[in-house]
Order: sequence, then C-alpha cells, then structure tokens
Amino acid sequence: MTETTTAPRSRTGGTRSPAARAGRARTSSSYPTWMLVPAFAVLTVFFLLPSLLNFVYAFTDWSAFRAGFSFVGTDNFSSLLSDGTLLTSLRITLVWAVLVAFLQNFFGLVLALFLEGDGRINRTARTFFFVPVLLSPLAVGYIFQALLKPQGALNQILGALVGHDVSIAWLGSTTWTIVVVSLVQAWKWMGLSMLVFLAGLKTMPTDVLEAAKIDGASWWRTLRSVRFPLLAPAITFNVATALLGSMSGFDTVQATTTGGPAQTTQLLNIFIFRTFGQGLYAQATTMSLVLFLTVVVLAVPVITFLRRREDVL
Amino acid sequence: MNTSRLTRRSTLAAGLGLALTGCAGGSLSSGGGDSADSASQGWNEPTASLSGVTITFGGGAVNGPIDKVIAAFQKATGATVKRTAYPDPYEQSVLTKVATGDKPDLAAWQPTASELIALQAPTNLLTLDDAPWLSSLNPAVRDLSGLIGKTRYAALVTSPSVMGVYYNKSLFSQYGLTTPKNWADLVAAATTVKAAGGTPFFEAGAAQWPTQWWPQVQLAEAAKAGLWDRVNTNQEQFTGPTILGAITEYDDLVKQGLFNADIQTATFEQQADAVMTGGAAMVLQVDALLLQIQTTYSQAQIDDTLGWFPISKDGATATSIPDNKNGIVAFKTGDSKRQAAAKQFLNFWMTTYYSDFVSQAGVVSLKPDVPTPSTVPQVAKDSAASLADSVGSMQSLAIANPDLYINLANMLYGKVTPQQVAEATQNQFAQLAKAQGAKGF
Repeated sequence: MTETTTAPRSRTGGTRSPAARAGRARTSSSYPTWMLVPAFAVLTVFFLLPSLLNFVYAFTDWSAFRAGFSFVGTDNFSSLLSDGTLLTSLRITLVWAVLVAFLQNFFGLVLALFLEGDGRINRTARTFFFVPVLLSPLAVGYIFQALLKPQGALNQILGALVGHDVSIAWLGSTTWTIVVVSLVQAWKWMGLSMLVFLAGLKTMPTDVLEAAKIDGASWWRTLRSVRFPLLAPAITFNVATALLGSMSGFDTVQATTTGGPAQTTQLLNIFIFRTFGQGLYAQATTMSLVLFLTVVVLAVPVITFLRRREDVL
Repeated sequence: MNTSRLTRRSTLAAGLGLALTGCAGGSLSSGGGDSADSASQGWNEPTASLSGVTITFGGGAVNGPIDKVIAAFQKATGATVKRTAYPDPYEQSVLTKVATGDKPDLAAWQPTASELIALQAPTNLLTLDDAPWLSSLNPAVRDLSGLIGKTRYAALVTSPSVMGVYYNKSLFSQYGLTTPKNWADLVAAATTVKAAGGTPFFEAGAAQWPTQWWPQVQLAEAAKAGLWDRVNTNQEQFTGPTILGAITEYDDLVKQGLFNADIQTATFEQQADAVMTGGAAMVLQVDALLLQIQTTYSQAQIDDTLGWFPISKDGATATSIPDNKNGIVAFKTGDSKRQAAAKQFLNFWMTTYYSDFVSQAGVVSLKPDVPTPSTVPQVAKDSAASLADSVGSMQSLAIANPDLYINLANMLYGKVTPQQVAEATQNQFAQLAKAQGAKGF
C-alpha cells in the first residue's frame, strides 16, 4: 500500500533509515574501489616494486658471477664516484636532455603556429609531422645512422648541392655528435609537442585575443605578449615531459651511435646497459638509483617554476 | 571506506610478499642439477632413438652449417631441436636469461675461460670431460679452449680463431717485402710501404673491436711466461710496463701515420675490402675477417690475393682468440632426458656427422683423420696450423673480459692517452674480478 511521503526529495522514498540512505547515496555516486585493484596490482609489481628494490640492490654485491648476494654498504657508490665515468655520463645526459627539451619544443611550437589553421593542407601536414612519433625509436636510430654516414645520403645531397664530394662525419665528431643525435630525437618527438601546443593555442579565451586585435596588436606582438603567456600549461607539460623523459633516453642514441664516438654520446642508460651486460648487476642498479634521484632533484624546481608561470593566468 | 582500506592493505601485503620472494631468488639456478648430472654420466650412442624429446639450441648463425647438423640429427634420432635466436651472443640478454633460469639445452658460446665463468659454468653447464670424440681430436688444439682449469665445459667444433696479419700478396711483391719474422720486421715493412706512398695498415675504428688485437699480439711471449696468471691475481696490472707498453706502441704506430686516414670512421666491411683490393697492404685481424671476405670473394680470388702470417713481439707466435662460432655448451636443466639428448647431439656432431659438417661448413678439420675440404682457402689452413705453437689471448687466459677495445677506440679519437686506456681497463677488470670473488682484489 503506497503512502504519500512528507520527507521531500529523498530518492529512497523516505522509508529507510538515514544511515542506510547516506551509505547507499555515497556508493551509488562513485565507482566501486575494488575496480582499481587490477591496475594497482600491475602498478605495484612492475613499477613500485622495482623502484623499491632499486634501493635495496644498490647496497649489495649482486652480480652474474655468483648466485645470491650480500650487503656491502656504500661500496658501489664510492667506487662509481671515484671512477669519474658516472659523472661524465650524467653530464652528457643532462646536456642531451636540455638540448632535446629545447629543440623538440621549439620545433613543435613553430609547427603548431604554422599549422594552426584548420584547412585540409594543414590537417594533412599535421598528420605527416606526427608520423615520426609513431615510428620505432630503434628504427629511427638505424635509419639516421645510415643517412649520416660519411658516404650516406645527407652527404651525397650536400655534395650534389655544393658541386664536390662532401664527407662530413656527422656521427664522428666528439664535440658535435651530441647535438646531431639531439636533433634526431627532437625530430622524432616534435609532432607530439606540436599537438599539445595546438591544443593550447586552440583553447585560448577568444575574448582576450579579440581584445588584442581591437587594440591593434600585430601577429608577432600578440604571440609574444598574449598567446605565449597563455600557453603556459602546454609549455609546462611539454618541457617537463621532454626534459624528464629525455633523462632516461636510450633507444634512439643506442641505435645511432651506441654511445660513441669515444663515449661522447654515452647517456647514463647506455652506460647502465653496458654495465648490466658485463654481469655487474649491483653497479648497474646503483647507477639507476643515481639517475632516479637526479631526475627527482631536477623535476622539483623545473615543475615548480613552470607551474608558477601558470599562476599568472 | 573500510573496504577500500582493506583492499589497499591486502594489495600492499601481496606486493611485499612478492618482494620477499624476489630477494630469495638467488637459489633458483642451483636446484636439482647435481643429481641429474651424475645420472647422465654415460653418453648415448650418437644415433640412438630420441623420439618425443625436444631440445632447444640457442644462438649460432642461422641458415648455415648448424641447421644442416640439426636436420641430420633430427632425421637420425627422431628428436626435435628448436632454435632460439640470441641477437648478439656477446651481449647481455643471454647472461640475464641464464641467471633467471631460462636456459636452453645447448648454445653457441665463446669457449674462453672468462666467458665460461660469466656463464657460471660450474653451476649451469654440463661437464664434457669424458666426451667420446676427444681422443680423435688434434692434440695441438684439443685443450686450447673450452676449459676452466682442467674441467671441460665447452665442445670445440671449429678451429679456434687466431690473431694474425692478412696481407695483400701483390702489394707485398710490389714493395719488395718478405714475411716479417717479428715486430720490428713488421714495423719496418710498414715504414717501407708508407715511404712508397701506400697505406701500410687498415684499422676499422668505427667497429671498435678490431683495435684490441694490436696490443694483444705484442703480449704473446709475455703470456707464455705467465703474464695473465699474474694479472688474474693482481700481481700485475694493465698499467704495468708490459701491457701499457703494448698499448703505447699501438698509439705510436697510429701517430706515425701508418694507418688509413679514415681510421676513426672506417668499418669492418671496408677493412675486408681494403686488403683484397689493395687499398691497404696489411690488416691485423682474426678469422672473422676471412668470413667477411668470403661473402664477396671466391676461394680462387682469396687464394690468389690474400696471404697470412702470425706475429708477436720477439717472433711469430700466434695468439688464439676462440670466438662464439668455435664452441658449444650444454646446460644443466635438471631434466636428465634432455641433458642426455643434448650430449648426444654434441656426440653426433663430432663423430658421426663430423666429416659432413666439415665439408658443408668449409672449415678446417679438427681431426687428423678427417681431411680438410679443398674449398677451404689457404689462409684458413695457415692460421689453423699456427695454433700448434700459439698462446692464449686476454679473453682465453684472463678471468674477466674488460672493455679494452672501447678504451682503445677512444684513444684513436685522441680523447684519452695510453695511460688512461690502461687505467680504465684495469678498473673494469678489477671490478669484474672482485665480483667473481677472485683472490687479490
């Protein structure tokens, strides 16, 4: 038998106790927490656990030459730091990361500005520039290694343009090859930066831009004073991911130069790969830990600074 | 709220449980091996039936002689042999796979002591001390490699690779040179070539690995006098006068301009071409160079153009450097049937099928009563003959394999001095020796 209820707006009809009403209202408005468990399990096993074990194994003498291991305190750290190779690799990795972050985002921004309009040509061009992002990094490395050989395609094209034989060793310079491989990496990922910048450009408040136009600002002035500051969130994302992601760069450089010439492009991950390959697992883990800590130390000021730029908005 | 906290706690507990099992993982590799090994002490007849048995063979060149051996073995015994590829047997993945227990039954492996130690041979490999074919092998090469101390872990299937000078015969007669008998002769010959406007030596700096032969050949006499025994116990170092002297000599030769102008960027393939086309008079290399040359030149061309001689500091003692094409190892998998089958495969290869293998592969025979095919170039026969009086290389005699070649390649770029090369190599060697628990480190 129905009865008209006087309790207003209660979905349960007013016949339930308040506690039950409250409990049911809460669970029906959010997803069940147990749905997170599979993803959390995968995250724990493949990410959290190795990161924790990284801290453990760095203090042992784990190697391929013995089953089992024992703790050796900070031996690994002191021997690695006295060697000097670790710090050199770290410096090279930092130079590489900064170069990639700058070049990738500079190219990405230029592309985004060029291809801002939504015509068919622009949309096709955007797709083409995004294709390198989808290529396998190793494939990119091998292709550029072939292109940049002394008798490779680039030198042949330059030779045809200049009129005589050109055989510049693009991947053989101990000073400049790091810039060359940074350019390769920037080329590969600039499509992604372009997309993020495009998203940023297209979600700007139109009233601000109209106001600038009415005030008579030129395209360049608008870009410099209005649009670039408003791009801050996109810049935060792009610079942070490019910089911190490049700190763990490996595949493209490994395929292009394998860390040469004379270890001048030996990123820390390549050095770790080599050490791990010799069977010195504990030393490799120690280097991984150093890389991990460096990225954390780098990330905090970089992201803080970039986020603070966004506060202006 | 309670449910989610419980979920979080149980996932954390599961995670920690997994962490603890991970810490205990070191004992995985030592399970059950010993009893299985003693049970398979006997060797099966090479063609005994093995139907229903599947074994895996890791690494080794594909579409070559190994496939023919496998096909013949499968036909003769009814076994199935599956091949797994190792992208680069000198690289990391194999050691890691073996360390985690992912062992094949057989693998192509460099049979030197240092590489066998890296594989933890006593724990992971079957011993082959009582192999039936050993007595029929040429005694000069039988014990050259595959052993740690006196225990045999690898079967030698082809003639061990040797370091030596491959030279262009027509250039030698053009410049009026005779075969150098010692290091001083070699340098004199090179100086003559340079004075006449030719390129004496060709080095593949871009490939990096050929650089290590230059110091190593100079150490042959010292190695015979126990150099590497002293290095293995830290009584002598890479920075000592013997090894450092050899590295400095190499640096001096490069600085004197006795090498190709594009030494920094020259590739291994260019090196092979240079000595065949007369681009350079001499190349110091190992058997791999001949294999590369054979991809483009015929046996007749090679026999016409190419000559070979060994060289060392005070004479012409060859230095042997067995590589991963020379040795096969069999793993302790704990399955006695598969272990017996793996040993049977080796037996089949080295007894029943050996003469077919030698003629199909076109390699020098290791057995005095199996003739070397006539398709084998003369230089291969010469280098195999030099093994009788040879001495082991760093890879053969040292307990660990530092990246000497990488440090030497850096020296070619002018980035480091010979002293720094020696120091870096010694540091790496000490690290590896310490990890092995070697005395003195």
